Amino acid sequence: MLFSRRLMLGLATAGTLAGALAFPALAGEGPTEIDLFFPVPVDGKLARDMGTLIKEFNDGHPDIKATAVYTGSYDDTLIKTRAAIKAGKPPSAVIMSANFLLDMQIENELTNLDALIKADGTTKEKFLGQFFPALQGNAVINRSVYGVPFQNSTPLLYINADQAKEAGLDPNKPPQTWAELTDWAKKLTKREGDKVTRWGIAIPCAYDYCGWMMETLTMSNGGRYYNEEFGGEVYYDTPSMLGALSWWNDLVSKHKVHPPGATPGPAVSTSFISGNAAMMMLSTGSLTYVRDNAKFNYKVAFIPRNVRNAVPIGGASLIIPAGLEADKQKAAWTLIKWMTSPEKSAWWSRATGYFAPNMAAYKTPDMVDFLAKHPDAKTAVEQLDVAKPWFATYKTVPVRKNLEDEVMLVLNGKKQPKEALVAAQKAADETLKPYNAETSLKLP
Amino acid sequence: MTLFNRLFRDVPLATRGEITPKLGFLLTVLLAIVWLIPFLWMVVAALRPASDGINTMAVLMPSLKPTFDNIRDAWEIGDFPRYTLNTTIICTGILLVQFVTITLAGFAFARLAFVGKTLIFYLFLMQLMLVPVLLIVPNLSLVAQLGLYDTLAGVMMPFFASAFGTFLMRQAFEAIPTELEDAALIDGASLFQRIRHIYVPLSIPSFSAFAIISVTSHWNDFLWPLMVINSPDKRPLTVGLSVFTKTAEGTQAWGTIAAGTLMVIAPLLVTFLIFQKRFISSFVTSGIK
Repeated sequence: MLFSRRLMLGLATAGTLAGALAFPALAGEGPTEIDLFFPVPVDGKLARDMGTLIKEFNDGHPDIKATAVYTGSYDDTLIKTRAAIKAGKPPSAVIMSANFLLDMQIENELTNLDALIKADGTTKEKFLGQFFPALQGNAVINRSVYGVPFQNSTPLLYINADQAKEAGLDPNKPPQTWAELTDWAKKLTKREGDKVTRWGIAIPCAYDYCGWMMETLTMSNGGRYYNEEFGGEVYYDTPSMLGALSWWNDLVSKHKVHPPGATPGPAVSTSFISGNAAMMMLSTGSLTYVRDNAKFNYKVAFIPRNVRNAVPIGGASLIIPAGLEADKQKAAWTLIKWMTSPEKSAWWSRATGYFAPNMAAYKTPDMVDFLAKHPDAKTAVEQLDVAKPWFATYKTVPVRKNLEDEVMLVLNGKKQPKEALVAAQKAADETLKPYNAETSLKLP
Repeated sequence: MTLFNRLFRDVPLATRGEITPKLGFLLTVLLAIVWLIPFLWMVVAALRPASDGINTMAVLMPSLKPTFDNIRDAWEIGDFPRYTLNTTIICTGILLVQFVTITLAGFAFARLAFVGKTLIFYLFLMQLMLVPVLLIVPNLSLVAQLGLYDTLAGVMMPFFASAFGTFLMRQAFEAIPTELEDAALIDGASLFQRIRHIYVPLSIPSFSAFAIISVTSHWNDFLWPLMVINSPDKRPLTVGLSVFTKTAEGTQAWGTIAAGTLMVIAPLLVTFLIFQKRFISSFVTSGIK
């Protein structure tokens, strides 16, 4: 009987508690201890690689002891970082989704890195000059540096080259416009009666991915998604976004060449790998996975255009939260500079499939060899010429979900694109209202 | 039907020839099979070699060349024995404290008369309406102020009192005839002796039911431990395992996920199998023996 001895129960409780209460170590003379929060958006095995990377850093810097703390998805990492800041226990550095920086800066949760850059005896222009220009928009706010690009991506069109050949298409001349892509998708779709046995194209739509894909299609259609200069406006109810969503919806319901419903990213890559989808739009972050698992010849290409060639960047930057002690801030800055150096970012790029944000990374001997072996890794970098910043607004995540919820309804055949975008715009304006009340609508 | 009779040796003789219990039994077997399918798939997927390709992932037929690669992969991702120990400490710690708090609070609401009893009880129940996510930031601030950030005690702290448990025990205690307590009172039993010798033993079924609910929910909790814990060696199973399941850019390595999930639920499963008889019988025991 569980309750036969009250004394035992008391002792057991006390014992469990005593065992669980680990007293925090007293700060003394020794290495500066810092925590790095990191998400693993690509592959679980990368958590181990991150451990290897941090161990190497610690071995080379005896005065710093960094710990890598795995914190779930990009969205989970934001929640945990914010909760830790509010609880007065900010981490020293975080790998943060690049489009969350503006929202965090608005909430005064970020350390301005200008002073740290200056203390190194360099200038902002020089420091930022190491990175691809397309990445600077998400790292710089009001002309101050708040983040250092670490692992970045652009969306790509993946093509199953074997299936394309079999359908009489030339995989070396990938589709360049929406019209060509629609045509390819029609030719690549296989049907047995009413049943589709192979989809022509799959585009992911789940929280986080869906907003990014909507921005991709809207940009290719000449649109903007959001106001790059000001965090209080998004442009959901516009001709460019309506065209983008209508085309996506047509692929599903009119041409029936795209699987119905909202498909999460991993399901899209799985169906591409298994040959059930002949083409997919997905991040370059999936490239390593496709390379390791595809049992067929594949090609990667730019995202086709309707009005112009343009894509958003994706991925994450390293940030330092506000409210850190000076010694931890300094140690975190050392870690960030080390992680974003050409050699390290090249190594991480080869492990993940993200491209290395540091331009010098592509001149390292290992990377030159790697690109010679895997020319497909160049496509995302070449596409950077037409890349623009990722949408970033006040309350990025809720504003993004305002759109995503409606897009999912459209793809599930429950709403028409126009009414969905009107609803999304209305919801987003409501979410942005408090910020506008403090800024653009605050009249003297 | 001989199978039925063999399995159901102990059904009352009177109903053995009837059809209704047999139908019920058949339905139970069907439900059990439906419930087992995901579990079987998990075992099959965990043992399937990656070379079988992605198309076979949803197949229930086991692979002809089973492999332990996935299990090894999942095992190497993190320190599973350590994670299991942490999760066990969290769940038992929470449960033991909860037993004390819900017994005393449940008794107070069931049997003691004090001012504002109903109001306080309703306030207690309002806690059930709150979405746990709302409480993350205030709870974390409090845990940090108490110096328990990044400790297992910090993970347990917010759950020491349970509105649901208090409600459950109040209902259980109210159902116990006061005559029993009166008899103990005449024998000179103190308040705590009455709780300990009358109320608690007669409410064991409620305690068991609560224990199952409490342990399974905290065993599976992900977000809160993720918030509190930084040190890799204090991670519970859910946080350790989520490394595989939170990928957006890559794919879900189903084999590894299945293997990891199997490891996470194994301790719960074994515990259930060992105590199965006790659990089941505790649910059907009636109050007065």
